[in-house]
Amino acid sequence: MTTTDPALSPRALARQRRRASVARFWRQYRAERAGLYGLTVLALCALLALFAPLFVGSDVSSVTGAPGRPMTSPSAEFPLGTDQFGRDLLGLVVWGSRVSLLVGLLAAVLSVAIGTLIGVTAGHFKGWYATVMMRITDWFLVMPTLVLAIALATVMSRSLTTTVVAIGVTTWPTTARLVRAQTLAVETRPYIERAKALGGGHWHIMSRHVLPNVMPLVLAQTTLIISTAILAEATLAFLGLGDPTIVSWGGLLQDAREAGAVSAGDWWYLVPPGVAIAVVALAFTLCGRAVESVLNPRLGVSR
Amino acid sequence: MGTNDQTRSLPRGLRLVAAAGAAALTLTAGLTTPLDPAPRQARAADDGRKVLTVAVAQSVDSLSPFLAVRLLSTSIHRLMYEYLTNYDPKDNHAIAGLATKWEPSPDKLTWTYTIRSNSKWSDGEQATAEDAAWTFNKMMTDSGAATANGSYVGNFRKVTAPSPTKLVIELKKPQATMTALDVPIVPKHVWEKVSDFSEFNNDKSFPVVGNGPFTLTGYKADSYVRLKANKSFWRGTPKFDELVFRYYKDQDAAVSALRKGEVSFVAGSPSLTPAQAASLEGADNIQVNDAPGRRFYALATNPGAQAKNGEKFGDGHPSLLDQRVRNALFLAVDREAVIDKVFQGHAVEGEGYIPPRFQNYFWKPSANQKLAYDPAEAARLLDQAGYKKNGDGKRVGKDGKPITYRVLCHATDPNDKAVGKYLQEWWGELGIGVQLNCLDNVTDPWLAGKYDLAFDGWSVNPDPDFVLSIHTCGALPATPEETGATDNFICDKKYDELYAQQLAEYDPAKRADIVKRMESRLYDLGYMNVMAYPNAVEAFRTDQIRSITTMPAKAGNIYGQDGYWSWWSAVPADSSGSSDNASSTGVVVGIVAGVVVLGGLGAFAAMRRRATAGDRE
Amino acid sequence: MTAEATPALVGDTQQTAPGPRVRRGSAYPRYLAGKVAGAAVSLLAVLVTSFFLFRLIPGDPVKTMTGGRQVSAGQLAAYREEFGLDLPLWRQFTDYCGKALTGDFGTSYQFRAPVVDKITEALPNTLLLTGTAFVLYTALGVFLGTRSAWRRGGLGDRFNTGLALTLYSIPSFWLGLLLIIVLSVGIGPLPGMFPTGGMESGGKEGFAYVVDVAHHLVLPVVTLVAVEYGQTLLVTRSALLDEMGSDYLTTARAKGLRDDLVRRRHAVPNALLPTVTLIFINLGRTVAGVILVETVFSWPGLGGLFYQALSVPDLPLVQGLFFVFAAAVIVMNTLADLVYPLLDPRVAR
Repeated sequence: MTTTDPALSPRALARQRRRASVARFWRQYRAERAGLYGLTVLALCALLALFAPLFVGSDVSSVTGAPGRPMTSPSAEFPLGTDQFGRDLLGLVVWGSRVSLLVGLLAAVLSVAIGTLIGVTAGHFKGWYATVMMRITDWFLVMPTLVLAIALATVMSRSLTTTVVAIGVTTWPTTARLVRAQTLAVETRPYIERAKALGGGHWHIMSRHVLPNVMPLVLAQTTLIISTAILAEATLAFLGLGDPTIVSWGGLLQDAREAGAVSAGDWWYLVPPGVAIAVVALAFTLCGRAVESVLNPRLGVSR
Repeated sequence: MGTNDQTRSLPRGLRLVAAAGAAALTLTAGLTTPLDPAPRQARAADDGRKVLTVAVAQSVDSLSPFLAVRLLSTSIHRLMYEYLTNYDPKDNHAIAGLATKWEPSPDKLTWTYTIRSNSKWSDGEQATAEDAAWTFNKMMTDSGAATANGSYVGNFRKVTAPSPTKLVIELKKPQATMTALDVPIVPKHVWEKVSDFSEFNNDKSFPVVGNGPFTLTGYKADSYVRLKANKSFWRGTPKFDELVFRYYKDQDAAVSALRKGEVSFVAGSPSLTPAQAASLEGADNIQVNDAPGRRFYALATNPGAQAKNGEKFGDGHPSLLDQRVRNALFLAVDREAVIDKVFQGHAVEGEGYIPPRFQNYFWKPSANQKLAYDPAEAARLLDQAGYKKNGDGKRVGKDGKPITYRVLCHATDPNDKAVGKYLQEWWGELGIGVQLNCLDNVTDPWLAGKYDLAFDGWSVNPDPDFVLSIHTCGALPATPEETGATDNFICDKKYDELYAQQLAEYDPAKRADIVKRMESRLYDLGYMNVMAYPNAVEAFRTDQIRSITTMPAKAGNIYGQDGYWSWWSAVPADSSGSSDNASSTGVVVGIVAGVVVLGGLGAFAAMRRRATAGDRE
Repeated sequence: MTAEATPALVGDTQQTAPGPRVRRGSAYPRYLAGKVAGAAVSLLAVLVTSFFLFRLIPGDPVKTMTGGRQVSAGQLAAYREEFGLDLPLWRQFTDYCGKALTGDFGTSYQFRAPVVDKITEALPNTLLLTGTAFVLYTALGVFLGTRSAWRRGGLGDRFNTGLALTLYSIPSFWLGLLLIIVLSVGIGPLPGMFPTGGMESGGKEGFAYVVDVAHHLVLPVVTLVAVEYGQTLLVTRSALLDEMGSDYLTTARAKGLRDDLVRRRHAVPNALLPTVTLIFINLGRTVAGVILVETVFSWPGLGGLFYQALSVPDLPLVQGLFFVFAAAVIVMNTLADLVYPLLDPRVAR
C-alpha cells in the first residue's frame, strides 16, 4: 500500500505483477521434467489434430469411398491396416484425435466451469446457500460417476453434446470442493476486508479478487480432468453410448470389438486407438501433476 | 538418507515374488503348450457323459412357456415340451408332434387332433389330450397365461378333450395355420397348482417335468442352462447325454471359447461377424456353417402411424407418403455394396418379402418391376415429385426446409450402424440428410411412430402367416394408446383382401400363389424395402460334434430352428482316452494361478516376518 | 474403472480429507450420530434420484415391457395395475419409497422376478471379483507406494510412479481386450491359457469348482488391479512423503534407530491414514466400478445386469441397482469417517 511506484496506474501494476508470476510459474514448471514431456506430447497431438485436414482430409471417414478391402492387416499402403469398411486406420486414428481431444477439452471446461462457479459462490456467500450447494456437491460426489454418466447418456439422445454434458455434469464436484476451500482461504486475507470496506460488491470481490487467486488451482484441475474426460469419452463410446457416425478413438475400439477383431486376433485394429487414448491421458495427467507441484510444493509430488 | 540399508532388503523381496512368478509362468507354459494342440474329443464329464455345450448371449426372460418370448427361451421350451405338430427338417412341412393326425371339418371351423399315446411326462405320467386342452383353455381364460402365446388362441371358440387321445378345437373363423400352433403343451397335473401365471417363472425346482427330447435340470441366470437327455422320448433318445447353454455376453469371447474347445457350438447373435467367420474358417477342427438365413433385413418407412379408429399419430416426414419418394430412396441403396461390404458375402441380395429359403413362398420382382440401384433415376423421381435441390444442393420439403430423415437403428446391431453410414453418403449425394438415431431399445419411438425410416427385420416361420399379418390394417392398434401387432403401421386395402383370401385357403399351392401376390404389392408400395437376407453364420467343433442336422437339411441353419432337430440329432465325435484334456489343462492352470497369488502373498509375509524378527533382536 | 477415478489424482487432500479431528472422547458419540444422520439423508436423496432420474427416459414402460407384441387395452390396463403404473406419479413415488424402506424394490419387468432376488443373485459374483481385486491392488499399492516414498527420486521410485501413472491412464476395457487376445485367444506361439469369459465352466463341484472359478477370475482381476493400484500407490507415496518431513522422524533417526524400523514403526502407520480413507472410498466405488470389466469378461455380476436393465429400460431393476451402487459408496464413506478418528494416534482421547 505504501511502496508502490506512483508513476504506474493500479491496473498496469496488476498486469505487471501477473506477468511476473506467469514467468515465475513457467520457470518452475520447466524444472518438472515429466511435466515438460507431457507438454511436448500434448503440443504434438494438438498440432496433429489441428492440421489433420491437411494430412488425411475429411473423406478418410467416408465408407463409400473406402480405398481398401475390409480388415486387412498392416501393409505398405495402409501402415495400420484397414477397418471393417476398408478405410485407412492410420487416417482414422489421426482424424479421431480431433473428436477425442475436443470432447475431452469441452467436457473438462464444462466440468471445471460448473465446479468453479459453485465453489466460488459457496465460499463467498455463506449461510444456507453454501449449505445447500455443498450438500448437492457431496451428493454428486457419492454418485458412482460412470453409472450416472451412463444413465445420463441413455436419457438423452446420442450425440457429441450428450457425451460432453454427461461427462461435465458428473465430474465437477471435486473442483467445487477444492475451489470453495481456496475461496474461504482467500476471503480471510486482509485486502478482501479492505475491498469490502471500500464498498466493493459481491460481484467485484468474486471476480476481481477471488477468481484470480483460484485460477491456478482451476488450471491444474482442468488439466487433470481433461485426462479423465478423454477416458470417459472412450468408455461411453465403447459402451455404445456415443454417436456411431462420428469417428473417435473410443468409437474405433467399439467398432473393432463389434467387428470381431478380438477373437480374430486382429491386434492391429485394437492397439493404435488404445495407445492414443493412453498417451494423451497420460500426457494431461503429467502436466496436471507438474502444475500442482509448482503451485503447492508441499505435496511432494515429484520431490 | 540411509538408503543403503534399504537396497538390500527390497530386491530380496522382489526377487522372491519374481521367482515365484517366473516359475509359475514357465510351469503354465510348459503344461499348456503340449496339451493345447492335442485333438480334443467331445467334452465328456468325469463319469463319461457326453456333453454338448452351446455358447449363448441372450438372457432368459422366463422359463415359463406362458411368459417366454425370447428366441433362447422358446428354443429351450421346444426341447422341454412337445408341441402338437412339428416341422419336417427337410422341407418345413408339418409333421407329427404330440398329435399324430389332424383333420379339419368340412366347414373349416372344427379341427380334430389325434394325440399320441406313447409320450410320457418325465415324472412317469401319460401325456394326454387333456393336458393340451388344459393348456389352451388356460391361455384363453387367464390373461397372465396369455402373455406370450395369447395370439394363437385369439380365434379359438372352444377347446375340448373328449378322450385321452382326441383333442377338438372349434374356431370362430377359418384359419390356415392350425398345423403351426407353436405352443408348448404343459402337464396339467403340475401346472394346475400354479396360482399366478404372470409371476411364475418355472425356475425354482428341478428337474422340470416335461416330455420333450431334453429335460431341464438346472439354470443359473446369465451363467448356464442345463438339460439332460430324455431317455424315454418317443422319437428316440438324443445322442448327447447332456446339453448345456453357456453364457458369453461378448461374442468374441464365445468365438475364442469355441476355438479353445470350451464350447462345441457358437451361433452369435444374430450371427458371427465376417471377420470372425474368416478367422474360424482356417482353424483346425472347426466347421463354419454359412447357411441361407430365415431372416430378411429391410428398410421400413413410416407410412404415417395411425390407429384402427382412424386417429393419426407420430411424426413421420410427410414427403414419405409419396410412393415416388420411397421408391427413389430405395433406388439409391446399392444392395450389392451392402452384401459385399457390410455382410462381406454372408448374405443374399434382397428381393421379395419372404427369404428364398422358403421356396414355396419366395417371390422376386420382374425385370421391369425391380427397383435396381440407379441413383440418377432416384434423383429424377425426386425432382418429379417436387423435391428439388436448393442452392446448397439440399432437397427441400414442401415446408421449405431441407429434408433430413431420422433413421431408427438398433444400437446393438453393428449392421444397422454400418448400413446407416452408407445411407448417409448415398442419400447425401441425392441431397437428402440422414440422422442416424441408434437406440438400445427402439420399441418406444417405433410404437409411437416417431421416426421416418427404420431398420427392420423378422425371422420368417415356415408358415408365413405371422409375418404377413403384421402389415394388415387389422394389426393396427385399436387406439393410439394401445399396441397393435402391426410392424410399421402399413394399412393397404388391396393387401388386406389378399391376406384374408390366403388365410381361408386350405390348398397349399393356391395359398402360395396368393402370398406371392401380396409380396408383389408390398414391394411396389415401398414401405418395406428388403435389402438383404442375412445368412446364419455359425460354427461348431468337428472333434466334438460328428454330425448335426441342419434345417432345411440342405444348406440350413442349426441354431434357432423350428423344431428340436439340431440338438436332438447331434452325434458326438468318437472319444479316445484323453477326452478330458481341456478341463485338466484348466485345472492345472487354475492351480498354477493360485500358486502365483499365494506365492506372492507368502513372500510378502515372509519378508515382514523376517524384518520383525530383526527388530526384536 | 479408470474413467471414473477421482480426477485430482495426487495430493488432493481435500477429497480424501477425514472428518474433523475429534478432540475429546465425549465428542465421538455426537460426531458419530452426525455422520450416521448425514449418511441417512444421502441415502434418502439417492432413493429419490433413483426414482426420478430414470423416469426421464422417454416412453411408456408398459409398451416397452410387452416389446411391441399385440396387447389389448384390457391387458395394458392389467399390466399398469400389476406394476402400479396406473397410479399418479406421486403415489408411485411414495409407494416406491415405502416399499424400498422395507427392502422391496418391486418386480423386474423383463425377468418377472423380484428385483431383490436378481440383485442378490448377481451381488456375490461382483463381490468375488471386486473383493479379490481390491485386496490385491490395495496391498500392491500400499507396498509399492511405501517403497517408492522411502527411496524417492531413485530409479525404483521413478519406475514405479511412471508405471502407475501409465497404467492409470489406460482404459480398463482396452487392457481387458488385449489380455484376452494375448492370454486367452493366444497370439503367435503363445497358447491361450485362460478362459475368455464367464465365471465357471459349469458342471463342476467341490474343489474342482473352486479351481474353475479361480481360473476364470485371473484375467478380470489382473485387469482391475493393473488400472487401480496406481492411485493407491500415489496417495500412499505422497502421504508418506508428507509425514517424512516431520520432526519426530528426524529425532527417531537421530536416536540411531535402524532406517526400516523407523519406517515401519512410525512413518508408515501415520502416513497410512489418508490411504485408509482412500481404501474405504475405493471399497464403495468398486461395486459400481466393474461395469466395464464385467462387460468385457462376460462376468455375471451387477454391472452386466445394470447395463442390460438400462437398455430395456427395466425401471424397477435399474432403480434398485442404482440405489445399491450409490449406497455402497455412502456406507463406505461413512465407515471411513467413523473409523478415522479411532485410528488417528495424534488425536488425544
